[in-house]
Amino acid sequence: MSTIVEMNGVNKFYGNLQVLRDVDLSVEKGEVMVIIGPSGSGKSTLIRCVNGLEVYQQGEITVDGYQMPREEDRKIGGEKELAAIRKGVGMVFQQFNLFPHKTVLENIALAPMRVRRKSKAEAEANALRLLDRVGLKAHAAKYPAQLSGGQQQRVAIARALAMEPHVMLFDEPTSALDPEMVGEVLDVMRELAAEGMTMMIVTHEMGFAREVADRVVYIDQGAILEVAKPAQIFDAPQNERTRTFLSRVLKH
Amino acid sequence: MIASAVRWSHRNLFAKPFDALLSLIVIPLCAWALYSGASWVFHGAQWSIIPESIRVLMVGIYPADQIWRAWGTLLIFGLLFGATLGCVFFLSRGLALGYGIVVAAIALMAAYRDPASASLVVAACVLALAGWFSTSHWESLRRFLVPAWTLGLIAVFALLSPPGIGLWGGLMLSVLITMVTAVLSLPIGILLAFGRRSQLASVRMFCTAYIETMRSVPLILVVYCVWIVLPVLAPQYTVPDVLRGMAGFTIFFSAYVAEYVRSGLQAVPKGQVEAARSLGMSELDVNRYIVLPQSLRVVVPALVGNVLDVFNAAPLVFIIGLTDFLRAGQMVLANPQYSDRTYEIYVFLFVTYFLIGSLITFAARKLELHLAKGAR
Repeated sequence: MSTIVEMNGVNKFYGNLQVLRDVDLSVEKGEVMVIIGPSGSGKSTLIRCVNGLEVYQQGEITVDGYQMPREEDRKIGGEKELAAIRKGVGMVFQQFNLFPHKTVLENIALAPMRVRRKSKAEAEANALRLLDRVGLKAHAAKYPAQLSGGQQQRVAIARALAMEPHVMLFDEPTSALDPEMVGEVLDVMRELAAEGMTMMIVTHEMGFAREVADRVVYIDQGAILEVAKPAQIFDAPQNERTRTFLSRVLKH
Repeated sequence: MIASAVRWSHRNLFAKPFDALLSLIVIPLCAWALYSGASWVFHGAQWSIIPESIRVLMVGIYPADQIWRAWGTLLIFGLLFGATLGCVFFLSRGLALGYGIVVAAIALMAAYRDPASASLVVAACVLALAGWFSTSHWESLRRFLVPAWTLGLIAVFALLSPPGIGLWGGLMLSVLITMVTAVLSLPIGILLAFGRRSQLASVRMFCTAYIETMRSVPLILVVYCVWIVLPVLAPQYTVPDVLRGMAGFTIFFSAYVAEYVRSGLQAVPKGQVEAARSLGMSELDVNRYIVLPQSLRVVVPALVGNVLDVFNAAPLVFIIGLTDFLRAGQMVLANPQYSDRTYEIYVFLFVTYFLIGSLITFAARKLELHLAKGAR
């Protein structure tokens, strides 16, 4: 069993405000880790540190064997090294962030062509295959603005998968969607998990977490308070704050 | 019909007592102004000066036996302008018909005086129409627009240079200065805009200093300074005044283009850059494929407005001894034979600038609509 993501003693500050406190976490290959917590707890910041969109000041983050540079080690022009690491880390955003001036097919094929130097034909064939996998092959020639939120998010997932990543990060992928579209995105994520993709998911969808997660992490005010299997954390949370949070969030 | 006219005027002109008072003062004033103007245009003015001095106004002191080169330039520009128009303004049958009628009317009016020139102008208009038609209907030609313009400008330079660059003048010079400045200031402005956001302190400071200096200083001063400084920097070459003037304009307006582009760069949502970076794209690719297309889409209308600013600022080259369209008009008036035709010349200058300016503004607005449609 190999560890894809490892975080040791990670501390992050915004000026004087500490947003991550002594975070220790490791994600195994093929594991689905779900991160839950109240808003402002640092869960988005945590996974954004994994692919370098945020810098951290202390500790160590290792992704797929590469060490993510700390703030003091980030050189001007160090973006090239980060780009190399990010090739293997896919990210899906809350706001989808599809490129509005390109068609769905172009959105998915762009990065493989430019970064992995694939030919246009190969990249587009691959893109169509991924679109088929998320159920959107018919929309290949449309622009993102012509799609619904759920469809856009599925395209975003396909776009991230096109780079053949080793780990996929999801930052509240369904939070910006209307309720009726949440299901179609979660279905895609469920299939992805079943196929053995390593995933780190920040979400409020507790039913999904219980069903799909291998481990659930509860984070509060920058510190990890509890890490457990979903059955244990949802039915018998050990930490007081976890209990409070879950009682507010789970609507049974 | 009368009833609806009465209703319209009641609602728009006489709705409230104050409105009615204003209307009673303004409408007779406008009517009197229009009447005086029209009677001067048709009875008082002697328009013969325009056709007699049209060559000076159009090409300045360019030698008369080389005018065919200027005609060639007109034909090339006609084709390119038409092609550019076709990218944003579809040529419908009605439009083509209206255009044809206007051109035919002008041609007939001018033909009895000078059939050769009239037929060349008609040829240019026909080429423009052809270009307009081709890019309206065959979209695949549009990708060749930028190379076509580059080639066109090079061809024009090659065509007009042999008699001597120092002889360029008139409307031809104004248009050439505008085109060269517009074409060169865009890439320089884009580089400056990115440089201003750079993480390297030296690059950032240089670009900021450059932009802020150019925006704090009048254009006429920059043109004059460049005119003086350029021979000092390159003493072995004699750089023609025209090129020095174009350099001054380019240096000045690059700063303004940079600011427009920078506002466009800031308009691109941060999430776009994050998504592109997350896919492992290099900074260059992120800027080239994601940031720049989206930001240019936002600022192109402002950039086209900038072209109009350049065109309206072209008369300032008088300071380095060049004769642009405005100065050519003044030169015509300096001739004692024509010295009392001031109103006619200046009205002609005004109308020409107005027509060209309106055309550019109209094109900018059409472009804005066209881009808004596509990026929906």
